[in-house]
Amino acid sequence: MTKNETELNEAVTEAFPAAEGAPPFDRVWQAAEGRYRASRRRYRSIAAAAALAAVAVVVLNHQVLRQDDMRFLEVAELLEATSWVSPSDVLLPERQIDLYEDLPVLIESTEPAGGALL
Amino acid sequence: MRDRDVLENNPQITCSALEAIHSQVFGWALSRCNFDHAVAEDLMQQAYVELLNGNARFDNKSSLKTFVFGVVQNLARSRFRRLASRLRLVRRYEHMPAEVSDDVTEPDTNNLIWAAVRRLPARQRDIVELVFCREMTIEEASLVMGVSVGTGRVHYDRAKKALQAHLQHHWESGQ
Repeated sequence: MTKNETELNEAVTEAFPAAEGAPPFDRVWQAAEGRYRASRRRYRSIAAAAALAAVAVVVLNHQVLRQDDMRFLEVAELLEATSWVSPSDVLLPERQIDLYEDLPVLIESTEPAGGALL
Repeated sequence: MRDRDVLENNPQITCSALEAIHSQVFGWALSRCNFDHAVAEDLMQQAYVELLNGNARFDNKSSLKTFVFGVVQNLARSRFRRLASRLRLVRRYEHMPAEVSDDVTEPDTNNLIWAAVRRLPARQRDIVELVFCREMTIEEASLVMGVSVGTGRVHYDRAKKALQAHLQHHWESGQ
């Protein structure tokens, strides 16, 4: 620091208002700890509520699935049957095929239609 | 009173080290909020909460004082940015006058040098305070202010020249 700078430094330091009346460290620290604990409690309760909501959604979903008339394809049943209905009318259009009534006619047909076999 | 000296989420910091710099940090917090004691204390509590929960993590890359000053500076900046935007919003809808009087007790503004410091742009004022009054180097002050050392030097140089010119002018006109 030059002489001018030192003088300026001293003058500014002298002029600067002193930080009087600083609150005691323990008081500020305890208040900060209180705020920290309160925020942790708040987050914990939010996390618990979120976990409860997740469990409730899972349980509810499970119950709804059980209530639904769910049918799955069973190989033995299919082999014995000559007709099949799609298990869900939500994703697939309702369709019923009778192997003896419908398909053989199509397969054995030799009638041409527009130059091609049906 | 305190269960452990070392902070759980900030193992590099001890309560006793914080206590040692408490009054200096309070002084810095005070100047961040226009010398309002209540706001400064709240700001300090907030800074300690940040240290307690580990959001502000000290890793010994600087001195503890520099680090805590930086935390206070960031908190003050975000706090007043928030307040300023709210105030702008209120003014827009309430047609409030631009000048809002507050009860903050200003320090002795008659003091010529202090008045000259107050007239400096914010960054220059900050670096003058940090270097002259908080006994920091320009590097440390730049770290606290969140600017590069080069920028810090420029602010410091400009502030010094502005202060010298102002005081020179005043002394000459006074004689």
